[in-house]
Amino acid sequence: MLSIKNLHASVEDKEILKGINLEIKAGEVHAIMGPNGSGKSTLSQVLAGNEAFEVTSGEVTLNGENLLDLETEERAREGIFLAFQYPVEIPGVSNLQFLRTAVNAMRQHRGEEEMNAAEFMKLAREVSKQVDLDPSFLKRGVNEGFSGGEKKRNEILQALLLQPKLAILDETDSGLDIDALKVVSDGVNALRSEDRAILMVTHYQRLLNHIVPDYVHVLAGGRIIKSGGRELALELEEKGYGWLGIKDEEEASN
Amino acid sequence: MKQAPTLSSAFLHPACDQLPEPLLALRKQRASTLVDMPMPTRKTENWKYSAKYLKLDDEMAISLPNEGKTGNSLAVPGYKVVFINGVMVPEASEFPDMDGIAIKRFGDLSIDEASALSLQLGSTLDPKRTQFAHLNGARFEDGLLISLKPGAVLDQPLFIIHETWGDAPGSAYPRIFVDAGANSQMTLVEEYISSGDASLLANTVTEFDLAHGANITSIRLNMEGENVQHIGATGVVQQRSSRFESHCVGFGGPLRRHDLQVRLEGEGGECKLNGVVVTQGKQHYDNHTCIDHVAAHCNSEETYRNIAADKSHAVFNGRIHIHPDAQKSNADMNNKNLLLNSGAEIDTKPELEIYADDVKCAHGATIGQLDEISLFYLVSRGIGRRQANVLLTMAFINELVEQIPVEAVRETAQMRLNEFFEQTFQEA
Ligand SMILES: Nc1ncnc2c1ncn2[C@@H]1O[C@H](COP(=O)(O)OP(=O)(O)OP(=O)(O)O)[C@@H](O)[C@H]1O
Ligand SMILES: [Mg+2]
Repeated sequence: MLSIKNLHASVEDKEILKGINLEIKAGEVHAIMGPNGSGKSTLSQVLAGNEAFEVTSGEVTLNGENLLDLETEERAREGIFLAFQYPVEIPGVSNLQFLRTAVNAMRQHRGEEEMNAAEFMKLAREVSKQVDLDPSFLKRGVNEGFSGGEKKRNEILQALLLQPKLAILDETDSGLDIDALKVVSDGVNALRSEDRAILMVTHYQRLLNHIVPDYVHVLAGGRIIKSGGRELALELEEKGYGWLGIKDEEEASN
Repeated sequence: MKQAPTLSSAFLHPACDQLPEPLLALRKQRASTLVDMPMPTRKTENWKYSAKYLKLDDEMAISLPNEGKTGNSLAVPGYKVVFINGVMVPEASEFPDMDGIAIKRFGDLSIDEASALSLQLGSTLDPKRTQFAHLNGARFEDGLLISLKPGAVLDQPLFIIHETWGDAPGSAYPRIFVDAGANSQMTLVEEYISSGDASLLANTVTEFDLAHGANITSIRLNMEGENVQHIGATGVVQQRSSRFESHCVGFGGPLRRHDLQVRLEGEGGECKLNGVVVTQGKQHYDNHTCIDHVAAHCNSEETYRNIAADKSHAVFNGRIHIHPDAQKSNADMNNKNLLLNSGAEIDTKPELEIYADDVKCAHGATIGQLDEISLFYLVSRGIGRRQANVLLTMAFINELVEQIPVEAVRETAQMRLNEFFEQTFQEA
């Protein structure tokens, strides 16, 4: 589904990604772990099309199509979804309006009829229950004044509404209490299917108890330095990153 | 040295016979003050940024015809008065029929009533700051006196549709006076629209005189076309414990000027002024507001937002004048601006004159751009760039639009603003 070959990316002339290689097939769940500042969010943002990051070389294809040629909104319509590490607050745009506009943009792209306000309201209420967000959150500004955990649940709410092919979850588990972690994991598990893939960035093995990954990768210093099965996450939890030859954050980003 | 240009005398000698004698006398008096009135230039302080947009040719001095179609009138829920070129169209109007509420055309006033009104007209405005209100005073041919007896409450909003129309150049001078008795209440909606494509001038004055405890809401939508220059003034005087609320939504044009002056003359008075302005292409819009805290213990709260795209130009000048006796005044003025292109211009200026020592006066102004990260967030959900821009731009003013207390007007404003921004971001 997703194929990343020798991907290099910089921000403000500083190279962050230094040759990422990754293959993700439909139905798979991949976890990316790694020290702070190693480039995990950068990779996620680059895949979603954030122009603040410049791709200097390499290749990314989604189902054979060159992803890097597409605008952000086209990538989304082709099925890329990024749950942001820091979801953006947009006062003045109601969450409901935002979600409906997004869902209808996707439907329009697929040649389906747009959903009217009443139909959408019904759907949005159901899905917000699924992520344990009170429907009153639909009326508020997008993420406006949401707590950290509420923002994360709102990201999963969006993923459930948009039904992406590849969901990239950037630390969707951080800042969640135990119940919220369960809710979010259930949401992610509900997304799992044969024709969908999930790439999740996390620091914690605990998430991987709920969402069992097929592969675990360690990203450090802008490269994937080790890949393995889920047991790799347990090993990291136990030993830290030291045994992989990374001492600290400083070194990781060099 | 070159002689500074003055207002062409063509503007000063209108014929009119439909008004009672005291109002004709008032017109004459106003005309006499306009002889040799210097036209604003960029050196005129209160026209500094806008003088270059003002283009009054002699042919525009002609009064626009009184007849005309009322085709453009918007559907309104409530009472409705239609003015075409400053003259009321009775057959298109629906007046309330309620005790304590009298709505009369100037032409229908008795000599006594007209004589009383002639003393009131213009009394809410500071002539030094609103030269063009005098032009309206010299030229109005009709007008509406809305009198609310003490305690009278108008049960639905009153809509006044001001349509300026012409297939040859000319001008129109609509005039409204609201005399709000003690503890009376009403909501007045004014919609300024236009049709035709000749060069037109709409020179308007609306005044509100609030006795103690009166509670008046004024909503003003300025939606005239690219052929219309608009110079309007709204004057408000408030007595003890009265409340005035204003919501202005303005779309840019070749020249748009609105002066809003509020004088808080009685203790405990309160005013809330909201304004939204959007401009694109080469459009212009200039809001000058002035709040005079004359009496003690009054509150004023002012929130204006401008959005300028392309090569357009928006101006906000907010004056707050706290007089020596106005202790415990509480004034809060906030102006935020969104600049959508580097070629657009926004000028914002607070003007504070404070002569009392025990007051709270806060003011703030910002000029910013659309937030790239918010834009990325929206498009990353598949929302098209144009639509995302429209959403974010609307978001900048939504808070104010949502406060418009009449649903039909709120929806009209929202719809028009959306259409406007879709045009703004057409080429995105
Ligand atoms: N817009 C930016 N401008 C400058 N530097 C940036 C920018 N975005 C990211 N960086 C830098 O790129 C490096 C990688 O950041 P990134 O956010 O990808 O790390 P991460 O692996 O997600 O870390 P964390 O685990 O803390 O979320 C960091 O050194 C960061 O400071
Ligand atoms: Mg990160």
